[in-house]
Amino acid sequence: MTDIEDKIMAIVAQETRRDRASLSLDTELSEIESLDLVQIIFAIEDEFDVYVPQEDETFKLDNLRDVVDGVKLLLAEKQDQSAESA
Amino acid sequence: MTPGMHRVAITGMGCISALGHDADSHWQACRDGRSGIDTIRQIDPERLIIKVCAEVKDFDPASHFPDRQLHLLDRVSQFAVYAARQALADSGLEMGPELVRRTAVILGTGAGGMNTLDSQFWRLYGEGNRRVMPLTVPRLMISAAASHVTMDAKIMGPAFMISSACSSANHAIGEAFWMIRTGRVRAAVTGGTEACLTYGTIRGWEALRVMTHDVCRPFSLKRRGMVLGEGAGMFVLERLEDARARGAKIYGELAGMGMSADAGDIVFPSEEGAAAAITGALEDAGLAPEEVDYINAHGTGTAANDVTETRAIRRALGAVAERVPVSSTKAVHGHALGGAGALELVAAVKTIADQVIPPTANYLDPDPDCDLDYVPNRARPAAVRTVLSNSFAFGGLNAVLAVRAVE
Repeated sequence: MTDIEDKIMAIVAQETRRDRASLSLDTELSEIESLDLVQIIFAIEDEFDVYVPQEDETFKLDNLRDVVDGVKLLLAEKQDQSAESA
Repeated sequence: MTPGMHRVAITGMGCISALGHDADSHWQACRDGRSGIDTIRQIDPERLIIKVCAEVKDFDPASHFPDRQLHLLDRVSQFAVYAARQALADSGLEMGPELVRRTAVILGTGAGGMNTLDSQFWRLYGEGNRRVMPLTVPRLMISAAASHVTMDAKIMGPAFMISSACSSANHAIGEAFWMIRTGRVRAAVTGGTEACLTYGTIRGWEALRVMTHDVCRPFSLKRRGMVLGEGAGMFVLERLEDARARGAKIYGELAGMGMSADAGDIVFPSEEGAAAAITGALEDAGLAPEEVDYINAHGTGTAANDVTETRAIRRALGAVAERVPVSSTKAVHGHALGGAGALELVAAVKTIADQVIPPTANYLDPDPDCDLDYVPNRARPAAVRTVLSNSFAFGGLNAVLAVRAVE
């Protein structure tokens, strides 16, 4: 499990008040209540200092694997931007 | 009684204030003139000019709400739900599937979720953070407390909140009363709630220069102003015939409500406007001034209110005002703004139940312009059948409730 994956799983477990062991990359987002989802997005933004875009076609989030991949993408974009500005 | 109209009984009460976490402890402190005013705990007092307030103390929300519910609740909603649970339990009302749809939840608040507003805007403006918590809007919206009471108690009838600054609770209770009286609902949970002892709010009040640095002394010559408070008072109202049919304990009858607007000044009260609300409550209840046994005053302890209220009572009651005891319990529970009328209605109803008039605590010296019987410093046993409870808000929005004993 990567560090990013680990942190995301911890956030999801905390915000959904679920046992971490009950979560996997295949956990569907449809299982999570909408209010918990916005809290999860907020916590992810805080943890990784990224902005999770709304209504972005590149973000088709169905399960936690998609979330982990999305965050990796956002972090890569962030790195590119800081490299450009450096 | 006009055909199709119903008399309205008060059958349940709940309360949380600087004086305690239930209606009995709130009342006992009012009766004993025991103040709940102290140095503020929620904020570092060194950051404030006015360091005293009437704060709800030792309230542990986590012991009353599961995490799942608590993270949705601003302090103002916590107080409302907590007091509403008490009122419902006290009433013994069984909420069947029919009654839940015919029960209203009508609450008052002046400011709504100020703790959420203050803390989240601090992130933006103070910490330079660009984001606020996702639950900011549902927590701070002014109607949130009513929503949470409906969700907590599974009540599905008309539900909304009323805001008229310091008269919010009385306007809300009056509206609930009229809805039952006119047959639109069978029962209601109603009252007022406030929790705005935040840094930003207190600084705003400081700037108005109406608050005392130390002791609240309504109607005294040496009064220096009001003390901000917080808390909630909640009531269960129902048709008197329903309450009797189910053998409920009946605290009294909510008999009338009077309202008026000064149409004058945004902060300075008007004698005429306040008197019109008192007269309105008497007329609505079908009471003569001679029948009033006690008035729980708005009595904020400010220079302006106490003189104006005294004159308004004289104008509305005429010569009878000479002998009617008037007291302000704000001396002990502070001014809870949108919750104030509810905290005071608890005291007013208990006055009838215990046949003891609560004093105006901290009374020092007579003001020649405040020349009524203010029941100074000591509770007074008395035969009390009918009471009025006054609320006069900033902006001249006045609401007065009349309660009488039920035989």
